[in-house]
Amino acid sequence: MGPLIPNEIISPEWNHVFAVLIGIAFGIVMESSGFSSSRKIMGSFYGYDFTMIRVFMTAAITSLIGVLYMDYFGWIDRTELFVVPTYLGATITGGALMGLGFLAAGFCPGTSFLAAAIGKVDGMVFIGGAFLGILFFGEIFPLISDFYYANYLGHITVEESLGIAPDWFALIFAVIAVVVFYVLSIIRKSVEKVKY
Amino acid sequence: MSKRYIFISVVFIAMALVLVLLPKQQNRDAFRPDLLLLEINSGERFLSVDHIAERIIQGDPSILLVDVRSSDLYDEYHIPGAINIPLNEVLNDSLNAALLLPFKDIVFYSNSTLSADQAWILCRRNKMESQYVMEGGLNTWFDHIMTPEPPQEVEGNDAIALYEFRKGASVFFGMPAPVVQYTAPENTNAKPAAVKKSKPAKQVIELKKVEEEEEEEEGC
Repeated sequence: MGPLIPNEIISPEWNHVFAVLIGIAFGIVMESSGFSSSRKIMGSFYGYDFTMIRVFMTAAITSLIGVLYMDYFGWIDRTELFVVPTYLGATITGGALMGLGFLAAGFCPGTSFLAAAIGKVDGMVFIGGAFLGILFFGEIFPLISDFYYANYLGHITVEESLGIAPDWFALIFAVIAVVVFYVLSIIRKSVEKVKY
Repeated sequence: MSKRYIFISVVFIAMALVLVLLPKQQNRDAFRPDLLLLEINSGERFLSVDHIAERIIQGDPSILLVDVRSSDLYDEYHIPGAINIPLNEVLNDSLNAALLLPFKDIVFYSNSTLSADQAWILCRRNKMESQYVMEGGLNTWFDHIMTPEPPQEVEGNDAIALYEFRKGASVFFGMPAPVVQYTAPENTNAKPAAVKKSKPAKQVIELKKVEEEEEEEEGC
């Protein structure tokens, strides 16, 4: 049956409508979890709040197991889902830069819009900086395009690159996540509680 | 850890474990039925016997004929170069290798198109590429290639050219003397012609004998 748009169950024009609706729902959940505060993200770096890591690992496992079950029941064809292509060097560099940006500003792109939406000036400044960064990247792209396109691995998933079955990968990932949750809770207890 | 986190952790592990333990589904890689149906209806899988004969005569290495009839029938007659994979063994792993040869057009044939079509569907459902069916099967092969009918007088140059090709092809594939068909209306003259041929043969032998005798005489 699924994915809905490639299989022409709904027309491609609905893509943007769904994007807006899911985006609004995402914003509501993030705001109700307190992600509009930059201290939430800083907490994962300084060790006093691991909500961010817990939320994203939970989301990753839920969607991973959910997609595998839906694939098993024939509701969705996993092979037709879009997998973002991997350029190894650029991905690692970009990830490190993004982490640096998190650390410097206390926002990720999603939470900055959340903060701006509730009127926080630092969030608005972050968005301005993000657009400046996009402009800068666009201008210097011809200089770094060789590096950008190096080490192309194609539309590869983690379990494909490791050569293990997706269901086993889901189990291993779930176990790792639970261990991570447990270790984080121990760290949290040992660090002085920050009130904000 | 609070009870809530323990519950979520247990649910995650349990769900993932069930996923691992569930029996693996067969035919997950099968061709989508709607696309298969489109291909079946399009008829693009058919190659004409003339096309196949031409490629065999030219020694095209990219064609592989697969006879899906029983091995007895294959032993009785098969198109030169064809391999035998009976229909019920088409998906046999050890034989699959031949059907997966890269850069080969696999052409199935049987007596008609029925068994060959079934073999084609089995292979296409497994997403095998470059699979074809010989249109009309061996029956059409014999009608068109082995025993071609001369074109009618009203037919154009194309039909005559095709007949000339088929006539040549039939000789290539081992049919003797298509010339017989031209002389067919003159059946009454055929016997005298045969007699005439035998007479000169005798005369030649006599001549040789004479020559040999003369030589011997000289030698003496």
